[in-house]
Amino acid sequence: MDIKTIEHLCNLSKLNYTDEGKQKVMAEMSEIINLMDTVKEFDVVYDDTKDNNSISYAEVREDKAKPSFPTEKLLSNTKPSDNCYVVPKMVD
Amino acid sequence: MNLKEQTLDTLRGLLDTKKISAPELCGEYIKRIKEINPEVLGYITVTEDEAMKSAEQAQKLIDSGEAKPLTGIPLAIKDNICTDGIKTTCASKMLEDFVPPYDACVIEKLKAEGYVILGKTSMDEFAMGGSTQTSTFAKTKNPYDLTRVPGGSSGGSAAVVSAGIAPAALGSDTGGSIRQPSSFCGVTGIKPTYGRVSRYGLIAFASSLDQIGPIANSARDCGTLLNVIAGKDSRDATSSTKPAEDFNAKIGQSIEGMKIALPKEFYSDSTDDEVKTSVLAAAKKYEEMGAQLVDCSISSLKYAVAAYYLVSSAEAASNLSRFDGIKYGLRGEGRTFDEMIRDSRTRGFGDEVKRRILLGNYALSSGYYDAYYLKALALKQQIIKEYDEVFQKADIILTPTAPTVAYKIGEQETDPVKMYLADICTVTVNIASLPAISTTCGYSANNMPIGMSLIGRKFDEATLIQAADAFEAGFEKRPNNI
Repeated sequence: MDIKTIEHLCNLSKLNYTDEGKQKVMAEMSEIINLMDTVKEFDVVYDDTKDNNSISYAEVREDKAKPSFPTEKLLSNTKPSDNCYVVPKMVD
Repeated sequence: MNLKEQTLDTLRGLLDTKKISAPELCGEYIKRIKEINPEVLGYITVTEDEAMKSAEQAQKLIDSGEAKPLTGIPLAIKDNICTDGIKTTCASKMLEDFVPPYDACVIEKLKAEGYVILGKTSMDEFAMGGSTQTSTFAKTKNPYDLTRVPGGSSGGSAAVVSAGIAPAALGSDTGGSIRQPSSFCGVTGIKPTYGRVSRYGLIAFASSLDQIGPIANSARDCGTLLNVIAGKDSRDATSSTKPAEDFNAKIGQSIEGMKIALPKEFYSDSTDDEVKTSVLAAAKKYEEMGAQLVDCSISSLKYAVAAYYLVSSAEAASNLSRFDGIKYGLRGEGRTFDEMIRDSRTRGFGDEVKRRILLGNYALSSGYYDAYYLKALALKQQIIKEYDEVFQKADIILTPTAPTVAYKIGEQETDPVKMYLADICTVTVNIASLPAISTTCGYSANNMPIGMSLIGRKFDEATLIQAADAFEAGFEKRPNNI
């Protein structure tokens, strides 16, 4: 784990760290990755045909429109303007 | 009224025979919460007005002879389960002011029974932790010793039941988060089979592992709650179509001839001696009741913690990417869209949540995906295979719930690797999608509860409740002094 990797991960994760914070989290992540490295000792390859995670399409709900949640309830968790979510300008 | 260790059956009897009304019962709990919660810090939000309102409605049902098993029963709800109109914070600054616009499926089902919500319980932030000390709002303490952790992540739910400020509660379990705090706080908690309970409205941590379940004073009470919350829900495609059943139906049946497996790896040197001694004494009790003990092995256990953290963190990194501060949650500042999102997440998430997101993105990123994430999935397949083999020769599996009893606050929760390794006894159950129940089987020299776990075949919660109840019937619990 080096500073370049940590900075790459921070970009992927949309997180900011100060320089001091980066050093601290780099040390912590190094120890965590050492623990994760134990999986490399295990000599078996993943076989995606053996997974039993599929969901039967017969069991999924009907694709039917339903009423939305009340707009005022949804907007109560943010600071809306004219019933719209407000975001910083993306295009000049 | 003494509220400590009250069972749901007793409370049902008191309500149905009009020895107490639902509003009176609710009032007793609210009064005790006001006395005890400032010490234990089990609740983040106490919903006194909502509780009294629903208690009055429940009383009308009782008076008209329409009471169901949970009508008028006060319950506590973990703060990652959405409750319409009631703050649901996940114990995170990110969701400090979040009020869900809808109820989770389990809450709809409890409301249909006429339950009474006492409040929302503390937890590790976004359910990531085993101590409840990563909670932003209430670092819960263990009712058996206020200088010790209650476990986690459902530490608030376990502590409020243990302290007698709720007769039962709902928690969630991704890697042991119902069972380990139940063990630390001397109560009973069941993690149902993956798919048994709808996850609709449970704020997602690791979607392939998360499951909602009850925490209560007995296995029977866990069954009573599970009877209400289980079942197919079209809004959670992974919920099972298995028909509803009475999870308490096998209580009282003899366990003679039941085969109980003891995987040797769970009884290694990494488990404290007094924990091993208590769990093995429980095995002996089962033998005296006519069960047969079977030796077995789960050899991949040594890789399980790493596999669990890779899979759960990868899913967490993906699930938590929704927290951008736009539609809900903490809104950061920034001149650009990207700056605002980064500021929201940096200020909203705590250290442990950030570590898990970083680890998840590491495991999923180019160059590391095969070595870590796919390897973890291979291990998942191996663990499932090994459990399948054990269940060919045994009906249930008995293990310690945690390698230690509850430890002192500040002793290890600042060391992530130490915390992760402490999950060794619980994570394989989630990886293999199995049900497991934890109940108290002894006490340490310093009077802290020791928990044992019974692990069952998929969708065989009834056998776990039967076996746990059989043990509880002959076990004398030591109450705490709260």
